[in-house]
Amino acid sequence: MNSAQTHHRRAAQAWVTPTRREALYGIGAGLGAVALTSMLAADNPSAAPAKAASASVSGTHHRPKAKRCLFLMMEGGPSHLDTFDPKPELNQRHLQAFTRSGEMESAMSSGKRYFVKSPFKFIQAGSSGISLSEPWKHLAKHADDLCIYHGAQVDSVNHPTACYQLNTGNQFGGDPAVGSWVNYGLGSENDNLPGFVVLPRSSYPQGGAGNWGNGFLPAKFQGTPLRAAGSPILNLNPQQAILPQAQRSNLDLLGKLNQKHLDARPGRSDLEARLKSYELAYRMQTEVPEVLDLAGEDQRTLDAYGIGNSNTDAFGRKCLLARRLLESGVRFVQAYAGNWDSHDYIQKAHGALIESVDQPIAALLADLKQRGLLEETLVVFCGEFGRTPDNGLRGGGQSYGRDHNAKAMCMWFAGGGTKAGHRIGATDEIGAEAVQCVHHIRDVHVTLLHLLGLDDNHLTYFHAGRHKQLSQFGGEVIQELLA
Amino acid sequence: MPPFLRCVLAACAALIAFNRIHSAAAQQASPEPAENVTQESETTFSEGEKLFALHVQPLISEKCLACHGADQDAIEGGFDLRNRESMLAGGDNFEDKVLVPGNAGASALYRTAKRSEEGYEMPPKEAEALSQEQYWHLRDWINAGAPWPDEQRSTLIRQQFDQGIVVDTSKALSDDWQFRRYEAQNLWAYRPLQKVSVPNNAHPIDYLIDQSLKQAELPAAGQASATTIARRLSFGLTGLPPQVEAADAFVQQYRNDPGQAINDYAQQLMASPHYGEHFAQRWLDVVRYADTAGFANDYSRPNAWRYRDYVIRAFQNDVPFNTFVQQQLAGDELDDRNGENLIATGFLRMGPWEQTSMSVFKETRQQWLDDITDTVGQAFLGHALQCAKCHDHKFDPVPTRDYYRMMAVFSTTQFAERDVAFLSAENQANFANSDNWVNEKIQAYQQQSKELNQQVSQKREQETGDAKVGDNGLAPGDEASLARMNKNMQRHRLELDRTKPIALTVYTGKTIQYRNVSTRLLMPANPWNKGQFDTDAILAGGNIYSPTDPVTPGALSAAESLGNMNHQPFPASRGKRRLALARWITSPDNPLTARVIVNRVWSWHFGSGLAGNPNNFGATGAAPTHGPLLDYLARWFMDNDWSVRKLNQLIVSSRVYRRNSTHPHPELVAQRDSQNKLYAVFQPRRLTAEEIRDAMLACSGELNRQVGGIPCRPDLNLEVAFQPRQIMGGTASVYEPDPLPSQRNRRTIYAEKIRGLRDPFMETFNQPGPDKSCELRETSIIAPQALTLLNSEEVLQRAIAMADQLIQRQATPKETIRQAFEICLGRQPDEAETMLCLQHWRQHAALPAPPEPTAIADQLQRTVMAEKTGQPYSFVEHMPAYKNYQADLQPADISATTRGLAAVCLVLFNSNEFLYLD
Repeated sequence: MNSAQTHHRRAAQAWVTPTRREALYGIGAGLGAVALTSMLAADNPSAAPAKAASASVSGTHHRPKAKRCLFLMMEGGPSHLDTFDPKPELNQRHLQAFTRSGEMESAMSSGKRYFVKSPFKFIQAGSSGISLSEPWKHLAKHADDLCIYHGAQVDSVNHPTACYQLNTGNQFGGDPAVGSWVNYGLGSENDNLPGFVVLPRSSYPQGGAGNWGNGFLPAKFQGTPLRAAGSPILNLNPQQAILPQAQRSNLDLLGKLNQKHLDARPGRSDLEARLKSYELAYRMQTEVPEVLDLAGEDQRTLDAYGIGNSNTDAFGRKCLLARRLLESGVRFVQAYAGNWDSHDYIQKAHGALIESVDQPIAALLADLKQRGLLEETLVVFCGEFGRTPDNGLRGGGQSYGRDHNAKAMCMWFAGGGTKAGHRIGATDEIGAEAVQCVHHIRDVHVTLLHLLGLDDNHLTYFHAGRHKQLSQFGGEVIQELLA
Repeated sequence: MPPFLRCVLAACAALIAFNRIHSAAAQQASPEPAENVTQESETTFSEGEKLFALHVQPLISEKCLACHGADQDAIEGGFDLRNRESMLAGGDNFEDKVLVPGNAGASALYRTAKRSEEGYEMPPKEAEALSQEQYWHLRDWINAGAPWPDEQRSTLIRQQFDQGIVVDTSKALSDDWQFRRYEAQNLWAYRPLQKVSVPNNAHPIDYLIDQSLKQAELPAAGQASATTIARRLSFGLTGLPPQVEAADAFVQQYRNDPGQAINDYAQQLMASPHYGEHFAQRWLDVVRYADTAGFANDYSRPNAWRYRDYVIRAFQNDVPFNTFVQQQLAGDELDDRNGENLIATGFLRMGPWEQTSMSVFKETRQQWLDDITDTVGQAFLGHALQCAKCHDHKFDPVPTRDYYRMMAVFSTTQFAERDVAFLSAENQANFANSDNWVNEKIQAYQQQSKELNQQVSQKREQETGDAKVGDNGLAPGDEASLARMNKNMQRHRLELDRTKPIALTVYTGKTIQYRNVSTRLLMPANPWNKGQFDTDAILAGGNIYSPTDPVTPGALSAAESLGNMNHQPFPASRGKRRLALARWITSPDNPLTARVIVNRVWSWHFGSGLAGNPNNFGATGAAPTHGPLLDYLARWFMDNDWSVRKLNQLIVSSRVYRRNSTHPHPELVAQRDSQNKLYAVFQPRRLTAEEIRDAMLACSGELNRQVGGIPCRPDLNLEVAFQPRQIMGGTASVYEPDPLPSQRNRRTIYAEKIRGLRDPFMETFNQPGPDKSCELRETSIIAPQALTLLNSEEVLQRAIAMADQLIQRQATPKETIRQAFEICLGRQPDEAETMLCLQHWRQHAALPAPPEPTAIADQLQRTVMAEKTGQPYSFVEHMPAYKNYQADLQPADISATTRGLAAVCLVLFNSNEFLYLD
């Protein structure tokens, strides 16, 4: 049965009456973005005031399993073969010649190719006996919380196109990110924070901010990156030359001029919304740093996340911040780690990268669980594609690394109604391609929405003459992943 | 076209007839409850049969069969809707209660289609839900006993009774689609232009707009003030605020003769080069102009600027729009000895595209073919064609075959950066500076690379194992830095082509496969020698690996049939396919082209098109609010040499253009025209991102008004400029601004547009992303806009420069405030405003002096991740631009008095009055 045909049979059980989705169409002249979105929404300056009130309308299509989502984005293409998908067969074939044929032949087929075994041993962890490679020392303790999925596939073996596809459903960019769709569908839980927060690395991924763009959805659904270095939000603070009292007085004069201008133009909600946006911006200057300040966390927590340890500090901070954001009602947090693009020294590179995220992720899972949040938080761990069981010549010689692979990848879920302690799907004996429970990434998107109580087929937005949806043209829920 | 259709297509000469056809169509579309249907008195066919043939059968095949019958082996829920028997037999869930003839209420078919059967709403996609009219047809058919006439009988019924319009198109994938019917109002764009008559002494725009206002019994707002119109004209035609003297002269003249004043001022504005720049920006939105290629490498397109300047020249010199289209689509085929023609074809290469060793050429080539087919459809024909790539278009008469016929036009089009000597009109300033910077950048890398290579060769140890694992004695950054520097040197070398007489263009020939495109592509001596002749075929499901029926080059067949176009077949083989398409598009009897561009120009003036979606004239685009006006203008435009300038002149000379943006009776407008589609008032708009920056530079006196030339690099928010940006193989070179203020402070259209590095100022104010065609700018109101205008360095610097300029005039404080208002807002302040501003000025002048700014060093240390080892490493990058960098005027450079005045200017730049155009 193909995916386009099976989706509706399964996604059908309605829980809550579908919301007035049509009422949301066409509010393209959106508003509000970084924070306190609903405050702005209340004064929607949309060109069509009659529709304005529905800008914050939200609701699920069926009973949700998860209320929020934490997306751990392992940028660069982590290798499934060296993390969660052991292939003993590769030990036999190590360095033997590998030939690739078929459609993908011309990509990555240069020179002589050879198999590469994983440098890591694998352990079976927890009562479920799930396999992880040895460097996952901390995560191994949570093996029974993980739902490891081996069946996902994407279309591209290029980083930016694959990242765009993973993040927006569209390889070529320009469409809304998953987090934008989720917020469009569910609305905000906390009026004081943006609903979609991104924690990028200090260097932006290939494809840049398009990976968390709002595409054709109103600007308020854009991912708000909290930058890893410098000012978390650009221009959050005035230039050094402007003193705090000076800024306040600037705002006061501006308020008076704008009010006079508005008085002559009654009913112009857009002008009024601009007035309000200034007060909001002013308040953000104190409120945003408060959210980001980890000073209130006790030492034990900081240690648990590996904060203060140079290997784990960066991602530890992201994970702890993610927990704080999720706890405060942010719907969708995406934290970036990487770069997992290990063409050369898997042991060294993946070893170091696993170390940098292993303890923070384990601490985060423990923390969410302890706070009773894991059950309603969908945690997704994945990269934009997986890696090949073979490698090409690197600098003229053989190297213990791997190329890009769109047909098999590394992905797991925790919490949020996924089947804990299970491995779903499988790749072939050399890990080159998914062969069981195989699904295109669009089905992963549909499943993600489903767990959050949203039906991809109902979560549409009318743009450029078409009802658009995250899966582009429909997909199916991967039932096997559901608890 | 089948003759029986002609009746519906009867041409209506007069405006009244035009309206009548619209309302007639609307009546046809209204729901018909059962009672009405049974009143019909035809004898040979029962009402049930007619319902089936005309409505139910098309409905089932469009909405249901994909899952319930098309694939016999995968019938959803065992629910087979291919014939009456299988329907009666039912499926897994409702057993034999799927279809209960005579009882719609008991039939699951009706309940699921009505979406009243919870959990089984059909079709499952809400976007495809049936209309009330559609499920009523289903209800009435079931209640009539659910008769199922055979195909022959059904066809007879359709021939006799169907009222929709069958459109003659090339050939659909299915017969159902081929003979499906369209509602008349959805085909307006394909019809020949209506002849619309306007009384001799009337302004056509005023005459036709006022007619619909009269119908709605809505009086128009009064005329805006002369100062408001001056600002409207200046921004509308040049994207810049009016210059004080010119506005004064206009206001004087306006008192005596408003019409003449507007004509003269518009002429004057359109004679300034800023007119060309402003209209070019609008067009560049449509074609997605950028100076880089995007994706993994985001390589420079060093010669793209010549296309940008071509567009500016074209608008400035008022190149007839039909020539403009032909040059962009087929300039090389028209005459490739004409440099302008070759530069113009840069249009064909504006989308993001790259071919790396990681991609399959066949696929990236197809990606371009898809992109250009869709883009040409949107840009010139108001049709997003992407939908037709995999299936015949759901709503419009665009069969998949047309999509691939149009794609076939481009299958012999090949990329090349060809030699094209500089034209005398091209600005060659700053070439030396550009080359020097690039060379310094390369030399710095060469030097660092040489040093590192020496260190590495000393440190490097023999790897021990049978495959390299990195036990080579090197630090994490060593190998990464070598790769990074190599990549950046390669990227910068491309930039050296920027100052060479090369054009980003195309040629016609066979397709040569490239494994990796990272340098200039040369045109082969014989384009038909090497490579392969791409076959032109319909690709099943849009999949490049599934070619099916062969096609020959062509265009939209519905425009040909419905528009009564007299067209010639396109050449295939080695013929000039693009030229044929360009001529087809610009043919005076093409119903789409003139309407599309006239609608765009209208939307640029009024904030929305006469047809609401300038890129979509199909059934899902907004229908025109003033069809006759659109047609009148389209005809007028062609009759007036396809001149955009004359069209502008016509538009701004109307009273509609002069209207006030507020209405004396807003409640009446809200009641009778809540969507503001009748033009009772002039729709105010926020300035675009580019206009905001350019206007601030104009007000501060810093704007360098030079026209054209290689891209400039303005100051960018430093945190963004210095933030590492990943590219294939490492980290891209840091963004460095041009060293001199005059180089940086040019109009935004000249700012280098880097796909992977958006200017946060522009992005915040809704500059569209460079990947998709933008039909109209959007305006959002978000807090980061306030943060940007209040807190960013760039706005503060504009305020300081403006204050400094005002102080140098040595006027009294009161007069200074007056001038500030005049420059920024185009009007005089009142007493209260003057007092407030003077007080603000004094208060801020008394604040303590700011600290001396720290100069930016010409080296930057950055820390990124080494791909090979997964560990962070730091490196130092040289920034030659900062060796001789002259900052704009800083707070510490000016007196306390000037700083105080700068606070006033900053507030003015933040004000709604500055940012909005009434």
